Amino acid sequence: MSFLMIAQTKKKDSIPPKIERYGIRFGADISKIVQSFYDKNYKGIEFVGDYRVTKNYYLAGELGNENVNVEDDRVSFTTKGTFLKVGFDYNSYENWLDMRNMIYLGMRYGASTFSQSLNSYKLYNTSTYFSEAPRVISGEKYDGLTSQWIEVVLGLKAEVLKNIYVGFSVRMNRLLTNTKPDNFDNLYIPGFNRTYNGDFGIGFNYSVSYFLPLYKTKSAPKPDPNKK
Amino acid sequence: MKKIQLLFICLISITFSSCEKDDICDATTATTPKLIIEFYDILNPTVKKNVTNLAVKEINTTSSLAFTGTSKIKIPLRTSQDLTKYSFILNSTDVTIDNEDFLQFNYSRQTIFVSRACGFKTNFTLDSATPYIKTETSIPDGYWIQNVVINTSNISTENETHVKIYF
Repeated sequence: MSFLMIAQTKKKDSIPPKIERYGIRFGADISKIVQSFYDKNYKGIEFVGDYRVTKNYYLAGELGNENVNVEDDRVSFTTKGTFLKVGFDYNSYENWLDMRNMIYLGMRYGASTFSQSLNSYKLYNTSTYFSEAPRVISGEKYDGLTSQWIEVVLGLKAEVLKNIYVGFSVRMNRLLTNTKPDNFDNLYIPGFNRTYNGDFGIGFNYSVSYFLPLYKTKSAPKPDPNKK
Repeated sequence: MKKIQLLFICLISITFSSCEKDDICDATTATTPKLIIEFYDILNPTVKKNVTNLAVKEINTTSSLAFTGTSKIKIPLRTSQDLTKYSFILNSTDVTIDNEDFLQFNYSRQTIFVSRACGFKTNFTLDSATPYIKTETSIPDGYWIQNVVINTSNISTENETHVKIYF
């Protein structure tokens, strides 16, 4: 790399000013769309977007809807709802030349309103004296549920074609508030993903997005340290 | 670009490693409680009394539960109906002195959510008017169960005695 820099410096004698493009990027989470096709228990969509505010900071967010049918061994339920996440991404990747990729860390505030219906369940009994009670069909509905959480995002975005980006991110989620239904729990929260016994969760997305450039800035060429 | 590819691989592997199988219901979790019965001496009602070769059998079930040398037993209640009728045969191994009494427990059921791994459990509340019905065999051999006292009608844990039987 340094060899390349030197070679370039010798040829052109100075580095051309770096052009930084600012604009809006928007797209969708491909994994949710794909899963909606092959998984009969899942319907979901998530739109993603960000706006470049400074050289390294982006205002970022996601908006989506999920309809998930979970058929676990002991409980089966359906969760439907809408979620919104807003926050920022910090690009820690120093691009060279005209590359415009991102390896970023970010945070989000997430909120979801959703409903749940308990489809069926089993009664847990440590005694095996009686034959196991058959699965109970419920159909109980719980409306007006809400949750709020924060996410720490680690992700990357790579420009694969001009202005077209593919991205991947993992998210560590922590619930802030969670209205639980009476005598049931929010085992899945749209946008948050499945819940575990504590407040933590893990989410991810694979996005494809389009960058709409709005304006450009030229950063002054850096003084060449090799030059006297 | 190499750096990006490497990170991609790392992130994808993190995603798949998080897709683990659902946890199993922990044995220490309080689930559907059994009915706890303690036996006391009718002549000395504060003293616990051990049962000898007690066979406990739900009337519609073929197998029976055997207890001996203990004053405390745990028996399950049916979660599919509001009553469970048990036959209690004392000295069940000796046909010359065995004695069978029936106790039918009447209750209401509450279904309580436990967790994703355990599902739901059933708690029971013994009927306040008629918590139990004591009956004899068709050929009466006299009651060995002298008195039944409901210690608590709320059956939600196995940490307390629900029913006391004096004999």
